Amino acid sequence: MTSWTEFWQLLELPAVQWAGLALVLGAVGLPIVGVIIIGLDIMPVRFAMMHVALLGIAIGLLVGIDPLLCAIVACGLSGAALTPLARTPSGLSGAMGLLMSLAIAAALLVLSISGVNAAGAFELLWGSILATRPGDVLLLGVLAVVIPGLFFLRRKQMALLLHDRELAACSGVRVERLTLILLVLVAVAVAGAIRLTGALLVDALTLLPALAARRLAHSLRAMVGWAVGIGVTVNLAGFALALMFDLPPGPVLVLVAGVVAIAAHVVPRHAVA
Amino acid sequence: MGDGSRVRLSAVGCRHGRRTVVDDVHLDIEPGQRVALTGTNGSGKTTLLRAVIGLHQAATGVIEVGGHRAATAADWARRRKDTAWIPQRQAAGRFPLLAEELLESSGAPVEANDAATQLGVGKLRARPLDTLSGGQLQRMYLARAMGCIAAGAGLLLADEPTAALDFDGQADAARLLTSLPVTVLVVTHDRVVVDACERVLEMAAGRLREVT
Repeated sequence: MTSWTEFWQLLELPAVQWAGLALVLGAVGLPIVGVIIIGLDIMPVRFAMMHVALLGIAIGLLVGIDPLLCAIVACGLSGAALTPLARTPSGLSGAMGLLMSLAIAAALLVLSISGVNAAGAFELLWGSILATRPGDVLLLGVLAVVIPGLFFLRRKQMALLLHDRELAACSGVRVERLTLILLVLVAVAVAGAIRLTGALLVDALTLLPALAARRLAHSLRAMVGWAVGIGVTVNLAGFALALMFDLPPGPVLVLVAGVVAIAAHVVPRHAVA
Repeated sequence: MGDGSRVRLSAVGCRHGRRTVVDDVHLDIEPGQRVALTGTNGSGKTTLLRAVIGLHQAATGVIEVGGHRAATAADWARRRKDTAWIPQRQAAGRFPLLAEELLESSGAPVEANDAATQLGVGKLRARPLDTLSGGQLQRMYLARAMGCIAAGAGLLLADEPTAALDFDGQADAARLLTSLPVTVLVVTHDRVVVDACERVLEMAAGRLREVT
């Protein structure tokens, strides 16, 4: 175990400071994305976006544009393209599998044409929280403002849409437009988070706090509050534990978030109602 | 006849895939008229109601509410604002929604809350919908519809609005539905509701006929 003196010395390292800032900013926006993912029933979105991001990277390498920018754009566009499928209850969850297969096939084809080694393209997807750069923190900062801002402005419409699409339509909500915005936001946030933290950590930052919150809260507003609270606590505690015990932060964060999610499901419902 | 919207359906047809479920329906409802729509299960009643508010796209024909046809997204938004809707299967739990949020979505939360109190579910406003019984949920949707009418809707479309209610609840709901100052088109198998309507229609195999 690291001594307190060494721990405080670690905190003075710029890489650790950037990582800590990224985790705090990520915990403000990304758990809300997790709540939206559960609400839209698109749990496999992470896998779908990984594959679409790879396609974007492949296209970027082929045409000579920044591959990571292409990955974010490809994810945003694929999120928008899924909007019409949200009209049927099972449309989006089924579409994720289709998107995954088509994207990986297209990515491998483009990589083959461009002559780039597929493993090299995959490497661009494996981020690490300790390798966080100022640009990454900026993206997380933007998400930490845009996502809670959108939720605050559209919380009533979102509550209706995520509860029942037809009820929302009959209550004056522009369901197509709001679904489009949410899907693009989810796709871009997940793609950005994969790049920043690695595919492993995305669930710890998005889905796990939201799954715990789903159990603890009975309204969308309360769910978002719980999810962000759990996200900030888990990220800070998990990162501190990783530094103290000199462990890789990614797995420690996922395990801490997973334990909280399980604990939330063990708590009797009436105890939190 | 009182206030309310005139409803005109001309040669309306709807399909589920290749199957025709509503076939060449013509209907003219005067403003303020209360009409019961009966018929066997699967005869097309729900689909016809859903077509009026655009939740099911009519394959053929023309539907007018208050003299307006709907073609663009803005037209449908107006149609839905002008129409109070009680669905057949009230969604209760895909994602949490509080009863007060449901009432607020009517556009007239104060009136919807008053209606909920009248219907005996006022104290359940802070509860999530998935914790309500079928009858309580139906009353909550009924209260929401009252709010929509207070917010300016001139037509009430109700799809089996008393199916989950006890006998007293059915009588109360029938009285409430037929006392509203709007046009009412209600799909029902409930004799009390049918008797309270001025006009009764029957659907069979997608075709509409006048009973009384």
